[in-house]
Amino acid sequence: MKLRNVISADFCPLDPPQRVKILVRTDLSLLAQVLDWFDQFKHPTLPHAVWLQCQLALAEGFTNAVRHAHQGKPLEVPIEIEVSTRSQAIEIRIWDQGSGFDLERSLNAVPAFIDLLAEGGRGLKIIEKTSDVFSYTRTADQRNCLLIIRNYPPQA
Amino acid sequence: MDTNIKVIQPAGVLDGNQTHQLRGELNDVVGTGARLILVDLTHVTFMDSSGLAALVTAFKTVRSTGGKLCVCSVNQQVRMLFELTSMDRVFEIFVDQEHFIKTLTPEV
Repeated sequence: MKLRNVISADFCPLDPPQRVKILVRTDLSLLAQVLDWFDQFKHPTLPHAVWLQCQLALAEGFTNAVRHAHQGKPLEVPIEIEVSTRSQAIEIRIWDQGSGFDLERSLNAVPAFIDLLAEGGRGLKIIEKTSDVFSYTRTADQRNCLLIIRNYPPQA
Repeated sequence: MDTNIKVIQPAGVLDGNQTHQLRGELNDVVGTGARLILVDLTHVTFMDSSGLAALVTAFKTVRSTGGKLCVCSVNQQVRMLFELTSMDRVFEIFVDQEHFIKTLTPEV
């Protein structure tokens, strides 16, 4: 456990938190709270436009878990969210307890926004567009992990 | 002012949870026979794909009745969402309400 009150040579107090987790109930109305929680990653070293895109990807990942992965599940079934920052990259992991789906197939099923006026189906495409790595895998503990990695250039 | 202009001002996080209210409001406005509908997004702090989907549905509904739905006062987050999904090519986006009224009702 890192002692936050000990400032060592390699620890800059202005650094954004490096790894933070929350558990969120299966409830769409909690999106605003998830967004508030993500505010802590606003930081001068992370370009605001990149932060905005990561915030959107996080929202799409969370609401996708509530709507689809946890469809029909009780509110109490938790969705676990972890955000970690590394040098020039931000990683978002969202674990659900659903039965899983084939991400590649879902992404390929909807050609990139060809029907501009479609009334749904944009969520996964938005994550794909805002991320450098996007995967959805079954974990050993019988959950699914949606992984989003976004790289960004160093700030002057 | 032209009574056929109606302005809707949703607020806060425009996500799947809020869209029912927005859809209801838009349906009411369309029902009044308004031909020009402006969705003023000044007070929307965040919009996701569900909020966007509600706007698209409304856009199509209004268009099918011969009217027009425009948006104004989009923040950086909403503009980014519109650009990512190419909706900036679909919606007419105005700076603010005044800009909308001046542009679409030159006689006023």
